[in-house]
Amino acid sequence: MRRLYPIVRDLHLYFGLFISPFVLVFACSVFFLVHAWLPRMGSGGASPRRTATGLRLPPNLDRLENRQRVDAVRPVLDQLGVAGEIDSIRHLPREHRLVIAVSVPGRATTVDLDYVLRVATISPRDTGLAEAFVYLHKSPGPHLAQIRGNWAMTQVWRVLADAVVYVLLFLSLSGIYLWTVLRAERTVGLVLIALGAMSFFGIVYALSR
Amino acid sequence: MPSAAKFTLWNRKLHYYLGLYFLFFLWLFAFTGLLLNHPGWTFAEFWPDRKQSVFERQIQPPRSGTDLDQARDLMRQLGIAGEIEWTATRSDPNTFDFRVTRPGHIFEIHTDFNKHRAIVQGTGLNAWGVVHILHTFTGVRLTDTRNQRDWTLTTIWALAMDALAAGLILMVLSGIYMWYGLILKRRLGAAALALGLLTCLWFAIGLKLLASS
Repeated sequence: MRRLYPIVRDLHLYFGLFISPFVLVFACSVFFLVHAWLPRMGSGGASPRRTATGLRLPPNLDRLENRQRVDAVRPVLDQLGVAGEIDSIRHLPREHRLVIAVSVPGRATTVDLDYVLRVATISPRDTGLAEAFVYLHKSPGPHLAQIRGNWAMTQVWRVLADAVVYVLLFLSLSGIYLWTVLRAERTVGLVLIALGAMSFFGIVYALSR
Repeated sequence: MPSAAKFTLWNRKLHYYLGLYFLFFLWLFAFTGLLLNHPGWTFAEFWPDRKQSVFERQIQPPRSGTDLDQARDLMRQLGIAGEIEWTATRSDPNTFDFRVTRPGHIFEIHTDFNKHRAIVQGTGLNAWGVVHILHTFTGVRLTDTRNQRDWTLTTIWALAMDALAAGLILMVLSGIYMWYGLILKRRLGAAALALGLLTCLWFAIGLKLLASS
C-alpha cells in the first residue's frame, strides 16, 4: 500500500497533465454542441476559389463506390494540393461531376470535379477554432464507417481520442484510490458520490423510461 | 490560516469533490465516446435488435396554435413524451407528421385531422441504444435551426452536460494549480503538459496551417 500510493499519485499527475489540453478541447466543444452555437473565433471565411485543369484521373472513377471511390480520389486531391479527411463524395452522373467534401479541423474544402473535362474547382473555407474543436470532438464518429478514417491524421486522432478515454478512466479510478487514503474526506466524498449517482440515475431513468 | 493556504486547500478539495460527484456522468460520456468512435464493435449493436410496433388511435384535432402547441396536444392524447423533431415541411393543414425521441424510444407520428386518426410507429432500443443516444441527446443540431429543445428533461440533460464540461475544465485548472505547487515535479510535469499541448495544437491549428500552405 505504501509503495503503491506514490506510484499511483505520480501516474495520476503526469497522465492528467498530458491529457489536460485534450480534455479542454472536448469540454469546450460540449458548450458549442449542446447549445448549437459557434462563436466566430479566428474564422477567415471563404478563401479564393481556384481551378485546376488537365488532371490525371484514375479510370472508372464514375463507377466506383464507397471506399474504392475515396481511395481513387485521394491521388487527385494530392494533385490539387488538397489535404484532409474526405467526408463525402456526391456523384452527379448527368453532369459528370463528383462533389468532394474534404475537411481538416478549422478548414472545409469543396472540390467540384468534372471527370470528363478533367477540371476541378477548389473552394476552401476557414471555419474557425470553435468549429475545429467541434470537428475534433466528433471525429471520427459513428457515421459513414466504411469511408471514415481515410486520412492518416484522422486515424492518429482516433487513437488519441481513444487514449484520452482510457486515461480518463484510469484517472477516475486512481482518483478514487487517492481519495480513499484521505480518511478525513471519506464521509463528504461518499455523500458526493451518492448525490452524483442519484442525479445521474434519476435523470437517465426519467429520460428513458 | 493565510488566504493563499486556504485557497490551496479548497482548490484541492474542489478537484476531488468535482471528480467524485461527476464520476458516473464521466464514465457514461467516456465509454459512449469510445462506442461512437468504434461503430464496428458488434457487442454494442442496437439497431438490428430494435423492436418495432405500430398502433392507430382516434384523436381530437388540436384547435389552433403553433406546430409545437399542436404536437404537444397530440402527444398528450397519445400518451407519448419526448423531444419533438420536425421531419417534414407541413404542406397540408389537415395532416401533421413529426418524430418524438427520447433515449431508447423513437416515435414517428402521422396524423390525419380529417379522419381524426393518428398512426404511431414506435421503435424501442436496447440498453446500448439508450447509452448511445444519451451521448448526443441535446435536442439541437449545429446545422439545423428549425429544431429547438422543447422537452424539459432534454433541457435538464443538456444542463448536466454543461455542468460536466464546466466541472472538467475546473478540474483541469485546479490540477494544473496543484502540480505547479509541487516544485520537485515541475520539470517532468511541464514536459507531460507540453507534450499534450503541442499534440493538441497540432490537431486544432497546425493541420489547418499545413493544409493552407
